[in-house]
Amino acid sequence: MTVLAHGVGSRTDLPLPLGLALYGAGAAILVSFTVLLLFWRRPKLGDATSGHPLPPPVQRAADSSVLRRCLQAAALGVAVLVLAVALAGPGDPDGNLAPWVLYVTFWVGLVPASLLLGPVWRVVNPLRLLARGLRVLTGPPRGAGRLPELGLWPAAVSLLVFVWLELVYPDRSTPGTVAVFLLGYAVVHLAAAAWFGEEWFARGDGFEVYSTVLARLSAVGRRDDGAVVVRSPLTNAVAAPDAAGLAAVVVVLLGSTGFDGLSRTVWWQTGPGAADDTLSGTLGLAACTAVVAVLYSLGTRLSGRLGRLPLRPQPRLYAASVVPIAVGYTVAHYFSLLALDGQTTWILASDPFGTGADLFGTAANVVDLRAVGTDLIAWVQVGAVVLGHVVGVLLAHEKALRVAPRAPASDQLPLVAVMVLFTVAGLGLLFGF
Amino acid sequence: MSRRLPVAFAAAATALVVLTGCAGTAPSDAGAPSSSAPSTTPGTTAAAAPSTAAGRVLEVRVSGGQVTGDTGRVPVALGEEVTLTVTSDVADEVHVHGYAREAALAPGTPATVRFPADIPGVFEVELHETGTVLLSLQVG
Repeated sequence: MTVLAHGVGSRTDLPLPLGLALYGAGAAILVSFTVLLLFWRRPKLGDATSGHPLPPPVQRAADSSVLRRCLQAAALGVAVLVLAVALAGPGDPDGNLAPWVLYVTFWVGLVPASLLLGPVWRVVNPLRLLARGLRVLTGPPRGAGRLPELGLWPAAVSLLVFVWLELVYPDRSTPGTVAVFLLGYAVVHLAAAAWFGEEWFARGDGFEVYSTVLARLSAVGRRDDGAVVVRSPLTNAVAAPDAAGLAAVVVVLLGSTGFDGLSRTVWWQTGPGAADDTLSGTLGLAACTAVVAVLYSLGTRLSGRLGRLPLRPQPRLYAASVVPIAVGYTVAHYFSLLALDGQTTWILASDPFGTGADLFGTAANVVDLRAVGTDLIAWVQVGAVVLGHVVGVLLAHEKALRVAPRAPASDQLPLVAVMVLFTVAGLGLLFGF
Repeated sequence: MSRRLPVAFAAAATALVVLTGCAGTAPSDAGAPSSSAPSTTPGTTAAAAPSTAAGRVLEVRVSGGQVTGDTGRVPVALGEEVTLTVTSDVADEVHVHGYAREAALAPGTPATVRFPADIPGVFEVELHETGTVLLSLQVG
């Protein structure tokens, strides 16, 4: 049985070189103040009415419900196959496709897919197809009216459950665990969708909401008239509505990635996390998420207090500007996992049931752990964290000018300070302290 | 630099000792891994060993669930020859992740895994049955 620091995988990254970590931190701080002092003083990014519409055929394809059903059916087919392999395939996690598909190809792969193409999981979510089919049995959704007041909070809970499984639960990588999770996830969300209606998936399905949140930073968005448009990712990020609970989703993503980084440090492995059990992991994950939540709430509310703004909506208003920081963290932590250990999925796909088959001619391949050099990994890590920070500060700056057009830039300082803290801490975790 | 010299000597000396030991245990090791080509590994190890005088010698003991010796994060230079000897009081299997090296452990009998550390990264060395992490090799 294989138990590793995170989901599955055979390796983790080398600590970031100190010089690179320091340059990254310095750049993040410098850029933060440059943005505050020298950048635009009036809202500059477009709003929900902006963007260049995609050509009509693409438009029709994007809106075609037939195409969606087909894609969802295809995704359902893959999901059922993965479930079958989890139940009936090889018992060794190293030889079973299911954990690699769930923790690497799907969960990590969702990041580049959504950043490039938009909210892909919303389009291909197989649970939507199943919910539609079950509608005949379940009758009209009786709780649909209650759904809007829940905001994105159900998704935050859904994501917290998944990251706990991925980062804490000791048997996370066994095929049986993956099977139970997949079935449990389907049952819970189909039941919720039966009660709340199909719109549940947009608010409660952690994977779909993750994809949608990531897609805010893609160049693909929807204009307020419903047209699918191409526009600057910055505009896309500020034009999307600020749903209640978005801050909670972002805090879970940031806190869990922070805990993943923390659990790889020597300090954690020999100190608080030395026991390497469910209790220490759960407490560590909870502590990381709580620290991020407190800091974020403090930063946004202090900024609001300086500007004499109502404090309650502050965390929600700025949640979108922390998304790029969370994405930067995620890319930094999981880029090498997808590029290196992610090869395992494609190798095992040739012989999913361990019968000696070679469907795609890849069964005899060996994972090439040298496919991406350590220098490239280090640069991608620093680059992602710093770029995420820069985009985050830009978005927060723009948002502040929209909320309070005449406020001095210094009102934004508390939030910017918290962002700098997140970024420096993120680099510190990659450096390994 | 000066601190490394005695280490290198010790390493070379131990490597020689282990080399003879390794040759002896090779056939029993070769039987253990079921999937990866068993016949080539002992042959290449024996042929490559004499040319590399120095190398990194690591020793770990597992007794009553407690791990002692070269535990924790162990830095190794890229390309360095690693000789890892594990002694356990219970039967188990030692697994070097990333390098896909495995060796069966019989109670009280040292088992040796030997390989060039030619893949950069951090790799866990663990016991298969109990899932105990013996050490993390930091290569690079």
